[in-house]
Amino acid sequence: MELDVSGARIFYTFPFDIPILGKITINETLVVSWIVMAIITIACIILTRNLKVENISKRQALAEMIVEMANNFVVGNMGEKFRYFIPFVSALFATSLISNLISLIGLRSPTSDLSVEAAWAVVVFILITRQKIKTNGFGGYLKDFTTPIFVMTPFNILSELATPVSMACRHFGNILSGIVINGLIYGALAVASSALFGLIPGAVGDFLSKIPFLSVGVPAVLSVYFDWFTGFMQAFIFCMLTVMYIANAAETEE
Amino acid sequence: MQQVQDLVTIIPWNFVATICNLLIQMYLIKRFLFKPINEMLAKRKEAADAEIRDAEKAKTEAEAIKAEYEQNMLEAKERANEILSNAQKTAALQSEEVVREANRQAAAIKAKAESDIAQEKRKAVNEIKDEIGGMAVEIAGKVIEREISEADHAKLIDEFIANVGDAS
Amino acid sequence: MDFTVLAKGIALAGCAIGSGCALIAGIGPGIGEGTAVSKALEAIGRQPECRGTVTSTMLLGCAVAETTGIYGFVTGLLLIFVAPNMFMNFLG
Repeated sequence: MELDVSGARIFYTFPFDIPILGKITINETLVVSWIVMAIITIACIILTRNLKVENISKRQALAEMIVEMANNFVVGNMGEKFRYFIPFVSALFATSLISNLISLIGLRSPTSDLSVEAAWAVVVFILITRQKIKTNGFGGYLKDFTTPIFVMTPFNILSELATPVSMACRHFGNILSGIVINGLIYGALAVASSALFGLIPGAVGDFLSKIPFLSVGVPAVLSVYFDWFTGFMQAFIFCMLTVMYIANAAETEE
Repeated sequence: MQQVQDLVTIIPWNFVATICNLLIQMYLIKRFLFKPINEMLAKRKEAADAEIRDAEKAKTEAEAIKAEYEQNMLEAKERANEILSNAQKTAALQSEEVVREANRQAAAIKAKAESDIAQEKRKAVNEIKDEIGGMAVEIAGKVIEREISEADHAKLIDEFIANVGDAS
Repeated sequence: MDFTVLAKGIALAGCAIGSGCALIAGIGPGIGEGTAVSKALEAIGRQPECRGTVTSTMLLGCAVAETTGIYGFVTGLLLIFVAPNMFMNFLG
């Protein structure tokens, strides 16, 4: 039995090195995330075709509902002055959701590569820090680390850094655990089916035991949890935490 | 054998590419989803606003018309009241005039009647005087026929009458 | 006697044992989430009209509580898939 739990495949490696970035590669993560972007963009274009002021179609109603939901989500959790975060949060949510769900059609989720989540978390972390500096001023931001007493500074820095790490690891861990468990189950079911059909004597049994029949239906049940539920939940939670952290950063102490 | 990445690793190139992807995605979503929808919503809001504004305008006009109508009604009523009060005043004046005239006439009539009565009375008194004088003369003539001359006779009568006049 | 093989063996064994131990971290979130869900159910039972808010807040809280478990899981994965290669490279 071969258990296939590995990282993203690398399709092509450019033969030159760039000092900081290291080797530039075209790998599965990037390709699938481009596919995700294409899907989202095409969906947006299709949804917003033939917009009308009156007598709207179902498609337009759906598009309006999505926009309204995004508006309500951001404005409801952050307040009116953060309206300009709506496209960012929507992009984050859409990319995360489609990336998580794309494993349903057999592609490898870009979100099962820690680089992706780390990048998102770092962007969010930069936004949070920017908001904090904007609210308290740079001095106030630095002073915030020494509260309640000066000795706590290292712990405050650690807890500050824990935010992006925990956000990235949470999302990544949930998606990757789905992939690992799915891989284990596929492997186990392949072994089980080959053992089961291997009982048939002769060439027929040999032939049938090569095909993992049992892996047709059973993993679908698990995919409901690991793909649909986890995928949706993690996208939602990532955006929710982003919104909450930024809104918290905007609240002044006084 | 195909090359694979490690399962748990952060590759700088993927990291940077993902940030770029996220920003591009943000722009795309803003451009293709939010911009058209928001424009459309703004247009719809505009249309609704225009409708509301029209309705408001119509309402204002109707109210203006109503106010004008009420004003007119009020004026008309005022005029009617004025006319009525004028008429009443005039009527009162006239009636007073009439009453005063009547009073005056009555007074005049009364005065005339009184003067008439006084005249009649005087006349009657004179007549009675004359009559009584005549009668007295007659009676006296009958009583003392010859003893009194004609002159004495008249003198006596005059005295008598004077007495009678005083007595009356 | 070649101690390198022994060292590799010890390193691999340590990785395997460590990853097994790391997954003990799953206990905490399990208990915590169970408590959270039971409290949320109580809240919904008491005030059914708050169902939506309670549910979404509970899911958010669960996800946050799950973080420690996920840390354990990631550590386990690191010990299984990354650390052995590192040790092998290190030991030659």
